[in-house]
Amino acid sequence: MNILFYTILPEIVLLSIISLHLVKKNSEMVFLYGFQSIAIVLMLFCSFLTTGKLSLLLVTVVVLLAKVILAPLFFNKLILKHKLVFSVKKYVNTSFSLVIIAILIITAYSDKFTSLTNIIPANHASLSLAFSAMLLSLFLIVNSRGALSQIVAILSLENSIVAFAVFAELEQSAGLQIGIVFDIFVWMIVATMFVSMIQKHFGSIDVTSMKNLKD
Amino acid sequence: MNILIWIIQIVFIPIMSPLCVGIIRKIKAKLQNRKGASIFQPYNDLWKLFNKDEVISKDASWVFRYAPFVIFSVTIFVGMSVPIFMSFVNNTFTSDILVIIYMLALGTFFLALSGLDTGGAFGGFGSSREMTMSALAEGGFIFSLLTISFIAGTTNLLAISNVGILQHGHLLLSSILAFISFFIILLAENTRYPFDNPSTHLELTMIHEAMILEYSGKRLALIEWASSNKLLIFISLGSSLFFPWGIAGALSLSALLFGLFIFCLKVFIFCLAIAVLESSIAKLRFFKLPDLLLIAFILNVIAIILIF
Repeated sequence: MNILFYTILPEIVLLSIISLHLVKKNSEMVFLYGFQSIAIVLMLFCSFLTTGKLSLLLVTVVVLLAKVILAPLFFNKLILKHKLVFSVKKYVNTSFSLVIIAILIITAYSDKFTSLTNIIPANHASLSLAFSAMLLSLFLIVNSRGALSQIVAILSLENSIVAFAVFAELEQSAGLQIGIVFDIFVWMIVATMFVSMIQKHFGSIDVTSMKNLKD
Repeated sequence: MNILIWIIQIVFIPIMSPLCVGIIRKIKAKLQNRKGASIFQPYNDLWKLFNKDEVISKDASWVFRYAPFVIFSVTIFVGMSVPIFMSFVNNTFTSDILVIIYMLALGTFFLALSGLDTGGAFGGFGSSREMTMSALAEGGFIFSLLTISFIAGTTNLLAISNVGILQHGHLLLSSILAFISFFIILLAENTRYPFDNPSTHLELTMIHEAMILEYSGKRLALIEWASSNKLLIFISLGSSLFFPWGIAGALSLSALLFGLFIFCLKVFIFCLAIAVLESSIAKLRFFKLPDLLLIAFILNVIAIILIF
């Protein structure tokens, strides 16, 4: 249980974010997000088994519903509706993205952030992984050109923050956590509508096409 | 008993490697709705080539004449030094990662030289392409083996396969990244898709085949055999270093038989993966290949960063 919770799950989260930088298809991106969310759900479930708080179980179920089932469902429908198969465009090419990823991981592991990753000294390795995941998600947001990939990147950042909070033992009350999940769910619906509108207006979900708005 | 173990270790790769190629071809044929040749066809091809006369260009030097023997010997030497299905063999001399990497590089060097030797246009560009790919793949190959040697704490391949890197749960991500990178290098070093089409003779795309166009008969058989040996060597490295389950750690008949069975299973899975990949993706343009090899290299750098 300890190995799964403290080592394998944060590694899966980080691996999924690295993979999000490499994939070319929107459907693969959505799949990876679902996979990453399963890791988060397992993380919360392990946390519930350790603490025995029923509120955590409730949060786990809500997260499972919102992030693992509903979010991928929404995005897949969006992809099918607008035929958005290959639109995971990036500003920086794959090999240079990986160089930046390596630098970001070195940064996350550097002494500069020890105060942040050493909040709970016993969880230092897991916190470093979660912090790396946060930095990589931020990079994914700024590096993505497609609206859908930007949305997935933002959700991935949220997952990384949840992972960081779990290992830093910063879990809030169940009410607040469910509120956050609900907030994300509403945001997801709004973002989906936003993507549909961009697609309808510009015929593409590439955000760079929005510069035509000034014409 | 030790002598018997060493004999098995030496002859296993050359005996089984044509079968490995045959299995990949068969799976690819099945995926393309063809019946395909028997999985033993590569043995028949080798037999046919060994019984044929050869034509050697009058401009060929000793390099062209002896390169096939060097290339084949290198694969035999490397084949006996890598962990196959037993890790208890005590070999501290030739089983080091750097010895393996540079012995394989020696084979590639002679192959490229032999392509250039006769002065043919095809051989020249084949060698040029091969050396470009090898130079780029070398870094990824060294770093992927270096990653697992960091995890295992030793550079001896037999000792690494004994440790079992996946037992170090906290380094799972590094192991996965190193494996992805190793698999990319496996495809590049063995001139498989998306780097090269092993069955093409189109001048625009061929790499490996261009270098050996001048060969015929016994020498061609040796090169083809060495090429399949190299594929099985890489598969053995991948299966024994990254997935060392079932590998015989002690000298007993049951452990050896179990190790052999598991090894065959792992080899089949690798062959299946290669065949499925080759049937589902297109060959990349030559100028796109450095990007993929660079990705393999950087993935290893990330893996090493995560270890420390």
